[in-house]
Amino acid sequence: MELKTLCELNGASGQEGAVRKAILEAARPLCDDIRIDRMGNVIAFKKGRTGGRHLLFSAHMDEVGFIILDATEEGLLVFRPVGGIDPRVTVSKYVVVGEKKWKGVIGALAIHLQSAEDRKRVLDYDGLYIDIGAKTRDEALADCPPGSYAYFDSCYQEFGDGCAVSKALDDRVGCYNLLRLLENTYDADVTCAFVTQEEVGLRGAAGAAFAAQADTVLVLEGTTAGDMGDVEKVRRVCEPGKGVAISFMDHASIAHRGLYGELMALAQKRGIAHQVKRGATGGNDAGAYQRSKQGVRTCVLSVPCRYIHGPSSVVKLSDVEAQYDLARAYAEEAKAE
Amino acid sequence: MMLDTLKTLLSVYGPTGQETQVAEAVKRLLEGHVDGMRTDVMGNLIVEKRGEKGGKTILFSAHMDHIGLVVTDIEDTGYLRVTNVGGVGVDSMRCRHVVFANGVHGVAVCQPTKGETAGMQHLFVDIGAGDRAEAEKLVKLGDVCVFAPDLIPLGQHRYASPAMDDRCACALLAELLMQLSAPRNTVVAVFSVQEEVGLRGAAAAAYQVAPDLGVALDVTAWGDTPEVKLPAVKLGEGAAVKFMDRSMIATPCVRDALIAAAEKANVPYQREILPFGGTDGGAIQHSRGGVPTGTLSIPCRYVHSACETIDMRDMDSALAILKVFVNGEY
Amino acid sequence: MRIEDFLKEVTAVPGVTGNERAAAEYIAQAFRPFADEVEITPLNCVVAHKKGSGPRVLICAHLDEIGMMVSKIEEDGSLRLQSVGGVDPRVLPGMRVRVYAREGMLTGVVGATPPHLLKEADRKSNYNWDTLFVDMGMDAAQVRQRVRPGDTVCFEARYVEMKNDRVAAKTADDRACVAIMLEAARRLEKMDHTADLYFVATCQEEIGSYGALISGFALAPDYGVAFDVCHADTPGAPKNSTSKITSLVTSKGPFLNGFLVKKLEEAARENGIELQVAVDPRYTSTDADELSVTRAGVPTVLLSLPIKYMHTNVETLDLRALKEGGRLLAHYLAAVEESWEDELWN
Repeated sequence: MELKTLCELNGASGQEGAVRKAILEAARPLCDDIRIDRMGNVIAFKKGRTGGRHLLFSAHMDEVGFIILDATEEGLLVFRPVGGIDPRVTVSKYVVVGEKKWKGVIGALAIHLQSAEDRKRVLDYDGLYIDIGAKTRDEALADCPPGSYAYFDSCYQEFGDGCAVSKALDDRVGCYNLLRLLENTYDADVTCAFVTQEEVGLRGAAGAAFAAQADTVLVLEGTTAGDMGDVEKVRRVCEPGKGVAISFMDHASIAHRGLYGELMALAQKRGIAHQVKRGATGGNDAGAYQRSKQGVRTCVLSVPCRYIHGPSSVVKLSDVEAQYDLARAYAEEAKAE
Repeated sequence: MMLDTLKTLLSVYGPTGQETQVAEAVKRLLEGHVDGMRTDVMGNLIVEKRGEKGGKTILFSAHMDHIGLVVTDIEDTGYLRVTNVGGVGVDSMRCRHVVFANGVHGVAVCQPTKGETAGMQHLFVDIGAGDRAEAEKLVKLGDVCVFAPDLIPLGQHRYASPAMDDRCACALLAELLMQLSAPRNTVVAVFSVQEEVGLRGAAAAAYQVAPDLGVALDVTAWGDTPEVKLPAVKLGEGAAVKFMDRSMIATPCVRDALIAAAEKANVPYQREILPFGGTDGGAIQHSRGGVPTGTLSIPCRYVHSACETIDMRDMDSALAILKVFVNGEY
Repeated sequence: MRIEDFLKEVTAVPGVTGNERAAAEYIAQAFRPFADEVEITPLNCVVAHKKGSGPRVLICAHLDEIGMMVSKIEEDGSLRLQSVGGVDPRVLPGMRVRVYAREGMLTGVVGATPPHLLKEADRKSNYNWDTLFVDMGMDAAQVRQRVRPGDTVCFEARYVEMKNDRVAAKTADDRACVAIMLEAARRLEKMDHTADLYFVATCQEEIGSYGALISGFALAPDYGVAFDVCHADTPGAPKNSTSKITSLVTSKGPFLNGFLVKKLEEAARENGIELQVAVDPRYTSTDADELSVTRAGVPTVLLSLPIKYMHTNVETLDLRALKEGGRLLAHYLAAVEESWEDELWN
């Protein structure tokens, strides 16, 4: 399945249905067993030629989005983010709302009508609304009842020199690469877990981890690249174009030292472009896997994404390839200990 | 001897996530004293001393890891940029002697903050490198430095050192295992990893062991220096039986059993009600279907600094309490 | 026993988070007539099992209450307190609190400086844990003999019956919902249900829903229903944070299963029970959060009883809403069936 197709599907935390359906269809012919578990994760299993090792690759299906709480008397929808979205990124953006996919905009008061003081204030969610053109509260709520979801109305586009811009690159890049991993055969048993609700607390992964039988877990993610703008050189975390970013630690997990070393050496050996993620911020599903039951070895492989958690995130496609190449190399070389 | 065991364990490098050397040191001490030793996938050292048939399984946990700073980037000028591993306050790292696993020494410094509240982004470590290339020969991204070892006696009974949290409890637990013979209950001692980043090792260990009871061993804060009143715990007045902290409310039957053990052993003890902080006890109590759990604490001044200070009389009191506790009927 | 009488008694029984034994014992005996088995677990959850063939449903409301622990006894015999769970210290000045010492319950008074002695500046700042103290009405030596650091302290407990079926009591959070579970269990005695039902009064919700976590692990349910209180309309509350006090609320959002919420709304509609909808973009701050991710995951719904003045000792609720809650829960649980499995993820 194309990265473009995956990114353009709408599926925020708790409403991953469309993504789940597409992934089920794409993965089913490629694996020996596939099921939906009790968190709504898609768990695809591929028996290895010899067994002896069991690897689990994980990527999350959910993207950040919005949920409707209520509407004002004038018919404007009151909304909040699902997952972490900076409110400043939402102003003046296009959205699509509810089951009927109503077109809407997140407007802002025209600059002409703002006082000098207004212009200095940072807008927060209680001052922002989605306008779908409804005239009354009843009309708005009939079309988009409380609990409806809204998404950035944003298409995937390749641009510049090998870059792509889209919503949801975090973590459809991971899902994209997991599907590709399923196309090959390996000596080791391989599980690909497409999980839910990462953006609201690593929840799908916690469920997947409980049932998992793997000896090693590799999480394929999208991570912040802060290499543009006024960010100091030592705070950039990672840079698009320099390859897959390997993490030694973040807020939710500490990479297994042996595994981290193996991955660095493997990338070197196979000439796969890679970088160390220069920071210990953020948290991802590796935290859920590592803490589950008796613990398990984990490491995180990330594609650097600029402007993550917004409508126009940017990646370098060669990094997406590098993430796939390293994951595949690890799966191919996994030998029984 | 407790003091020798303590000195051995204090000098070992073992920040959160890299506790192997501490586990090795504990293993050497316990060789021949226990019925079984193994290391799990996270690095917890799990040690067993079998009890009588019909006895319960008691899990004791003391964490091997201590806090440090991890290298996240290297300036062109050779200074290291870092962030915290575990609860490190900027104040404890102002012009502080630190050391890496490979023996490289450095000075942790807080740069001028220009009015902002000082945070990790204002820290750097000076390892004497003239530029990035020189620095990269000495350290790698992801390397962790810790307070340089520095044990000082204070007065007749007290010692100050980095890593008292929680090596003093590791020493206590090791001494218990070395001195214990034929306990009524099976003792599973977990020398745990990654406590400082959220009790992660203890959670994994408790899941594996599935004990009947749990007791975490850790330091607690103090209430006996100028302007510090809570918790109402004083150095030299005995081990502290914890009633609560922010990770756990001690299960009444276990906390009462610890108090009963102290009274039976006729040693001083204190009641501890801590307004912040947590221990492995939280992870053990909430594992699987729940485990009755308590915590026995060593009062410690200046926790999470390079001069964590304890009183050896409190360690003695704790050991005496535990020796009675392991033989209780539960 | 009428549900109002149960409510009056159960809200007064002491059960501060982590020290819930007395509350667990009271609740266990109340469930016995309506369940096949009732047990109290080592960490003080009450599990009342109403047998069925399946699916297995875990319904929970928490039995622990916020309160305090004595942290220190001062030289003059006054007690310092530490909060257990989210206690706002500003509700305490002038309250008669209940100190649970070895000998039983002792009355204490939370001191407040007389107005005559207050300086202007004092009036502008709030009482906090450092300045509050409890007067036990005895000299220091006696206090030290009879009270210990670590003793638990509860709010004053009165049950105030007001107009329009409104009631104010401490610990409506969450024993009012325990009452709703009891009411449902009672009704289900006369209803058919295939579901295998576990009513759990959980411990330790107020410090992190640990009771839900360990119960979910131990009982391995197929579905979950969490029951807690939510905020009723009150002046000054932020927009979109409250509901009408007169009827129950269910939540929609990522943590709750959309299909099960739909079935709940159906059960309400078919039985003429009013059900409001709230939206939780992330945490619900109830047992639902932990229950829904125990083991391999548990599809869960959340039902809430709106109350005013949450976490004070005058939490106010509507008795008719409470009774309707019992009715709705019973009908929903009676509707649970095996075929729901096929529709969970549509």
